Amino acid sequence: MAAPTSLRRGGAAARATPGQGHKHRGRKHTANGLLWIAPALILVVGLIYFSIGYTAYVATLDWNGFILSQPTSVGFDNFRAMFTDAVFWRSLQHTLIFFVVTFTVQTWLGFTFAAIMHSKIRLRGLYKVVVFVPTVLAPAAMAPIFRQIFEVRGQLNQLLTAIGLESWTNAWLADGRTAMGVVMLATIWQWTGLTFILFYAAMSQIDPEVLEAARVDGASNTRTLRSIVWPMCKGTTVALATLGLIGALKTFDWPFLITRGGPNRSTEFLGTYIYHTMMQEKRFGYAAAISVALLVLALTCGVIMSLRTQRSGRK
Amino acid sequence: MRISKEMFTKRGGAVGAVLAAALVLAACGGDGGGADGSGGELTGDPLSGSITWWGWTPDATNATHLIAAFNEEFPDIEVTFVSRPIDSYDAVLSPALTSADGPDVFNVAPGSANGGVDVFHYGAIDLTAAVETALGEDWADQLAEIGVYGLTVGDKLVGLSAGAVYSGSIWINQDLFDEHGLTPPTDMASWIEVCTAFEAAGQGCFVQGAGMHAFNMDTFQAIMENIEPGLYRRASLGEASFTEGETGEKFYQGMEIWRSLFDEGIMQRGAIGMMQYPDANNAFLSGQYAMVMMGSWYTQYAVRDSMIHAMEAAGVSNPDPITIVPIDFPDLAGTGITGHMFGDADYGLAVSINSQNQAAAVTFATWLATSQAGQQAVANTLNNIPALRGITPQWENITLVNPAVQESILSAYTEQAASAVEPRFATVSALLNSGYRDTLGAVATGDMSITDALAHLQSIVDNEQ
Repeated sequence: MAAPTSLRRGGAAARATPGQGHKHRGRKHTANGLLWIAPALILVVGLIYFSIGYTAYVATLDWNGFILSQPTSVGFDNFRAMFTDAVFWRSLQHTLIFFVVTFTVQTWLGFTFAAIMHSKIRLRGLYKVVVFVPTVLAPAAMAPIFRQIFEVRGQLNQLLTAIGLESWTNAWLADGRTAMGVVMLATIWQWTGLTFILFYAAMSQIDPEVLEAARVDGASNTRTLRSIVWPMCKGTTVALATLGLIGALKTFDWPFLITRGGPNRSTEFLGTYIYHTMMQEKRFGYAAAISVALLVLALTCGVIMSLRTQRSGRK
Repeated sequence: MRISKEMFTKRGGAVGAVLAAALVLAACGGDGGGADGSGGELTGDPLSGSITWWGWTPDATNATHLIAAFNEEFPDIEVTFVSRPIDSYDAVLSPALTSADGPDVFNVAPGSANGGVDVFHYGAIDLTAAVETALGEDWADQLAEIGVYGLTVGDKLVGLSAGAVYSGSIWINQDLFDEHGLTPPTDMASWIEVCTAFEAAGQGCFVQGAGMHAFNMDTFQAIMENIEPGLYRRASLGEASFTEGETGEKFYQGMEIWRSLFDEGIMQRGAIGMMQYPDANNAFLSGQYAMVMMGSWYTQYAVRDSMIHAMEAAGVSNPDPITIVPIDFPDLAGTGITGHMFGDADYGLAVSINSQNQAAAVTFATWLATSQAGQQAVANTLNNIPALRGITPQWENITLVNPAVQESILSAYTEQAASAVEPRFATVSALLNSGYRDTLGAVATGDMSITDALAHLQSIVDNEQ
């Protein structure tokens, strides 16, 4: 098989003048590489990084967002205001609680479902579809159903009344604590399917001989799951945690569609707060400042998670 | 451009006035009209062309009626209405106005609401000269004050109000009151009594989507109008205190009354978690509740066909249309001051500075907002109270659900609304609006004290001064 043209030419140059030839080959590769990545580079730098830079610029303005109006430069006032804004901190707190609860429950459910589906149960193909379907359903289509279920006169209270638990009925969406619970429930309902699929795929990669060896050693199913399967799915868990944390920071659709951030901002997240500040209050500069904070938080969390993964990988 | 004498004689004085308005602006721009919003000639022909009208309201059916009426007088101007959802209106309008391919005519709203003139006046020409030519120097006296005040920024008339909406009333399902032998409440005691009776019969009484704060503001303003008319507006403008002195005491009383609506069981259980649209609206129209806090825009549902469609949309199959009528907000403070409504221009018609058909756009906007025919068409939709004084719906041409009960009440109601002078949102800044969102809900649930709530509102107004 003939070597690629660039390598053959590089080889000839190396024989003549070793040092120069290596540089020449490097430049060639760089030039060719740039050509190949140019479209993506233009897209990423031109659209995404320009947008990030422009958002950072807008964060220094007092502006209503209408391009024909004149903004006023306010320096870092929007960031200073953000740090003393109770709603901003409350939104962050909600995000943290939301992440811990949804990630924990989704991971447990997803892992359990995946383990069950790997056993020889009947109709497992059907169960896989049932568990995964919520992932592909749009929150906009499902939110009204969640609202209806948890309304005072909704199906949940009707069910509780029908089985004699009328004292348990509640105005679920009117109570800050339970409203957050409903938002979490909707999120878990939607994303458990994805968690399940990823764990299922990870479990498929485990060498059957390892599991067989554990069984030969007398490990029970539970012990095998805890001591063999779970550690071997660690990479998946970390990836899900990273995605979950960034997803929690960007949470918008479910709280916006189910509770609009209420009651009394008890389900306010950074995403809904940015929307509210920008669209209702017309404070584009302030909304941009929160967006920058959101970006920094997401990047920081992503980097920390990545570093932890690398470190544990070395061990 | 060809303008015949017949234009003025055959199509009537109103047409001539509207046309003259467009011509005057087209010719010289007056002091304010013009392609750049500050003077200069209008683009296009005032008698022909295709224009696009963007708005969140009216609905498609009413827009079709209005355009058809316009085309009876101006057949050579083709108007295309593009309905844009209110929630995303600003987001789509903002870039569109910077382009010649954007709307020629676009809806604007008072203050800082979506489509608010505070933002979009930069993209609109001044219509003062047009309305002055159409109605004369005393044009402001001929139009509802609320429509002019709310759509003016500085000296610039940004939009021409097609009509206004007013709140401060409650709509009741008369059929349910008759069925249970009850009379509408007039004060706190009778309201509690009515609700107790309805609840005892397994019937919902009053419904409000208190998760949608704009309607909480309506209810609170209605309470404040009952305590002292105009105080709510004055406090919004920083002319009265939320916390200090006599006015502070009155606001405290208003908040107490607001909270008591929840504590006394007038507001339905879980109100704070419900939205006015669609939740409360659907619950009322489907007969689950007998009363709802809505404004003059609800008049359209007194029409048989509209009510049937609305009930179907609310989930009622084969609906038997219900008889709804407005009642004054009850005298909760015991002052005897009732019937004070408040409102804003529902929408104003603005003309884009980048339109290539400004003259035709001005013709359309001026016709709809200032001509007898245009305003009569608006009145007959029952969605808005017309901006031009003296225009009332032609009830004989409107098929009500129950004319014997509704016609006289609705006739009085529209006149009462048209005479209202207090603004609804026009004087409430975006930040104060958010302040009401945070405080009214929190006071209702007991998460915030009345003192803290009023202090918060006052701090917002102080910071804006």
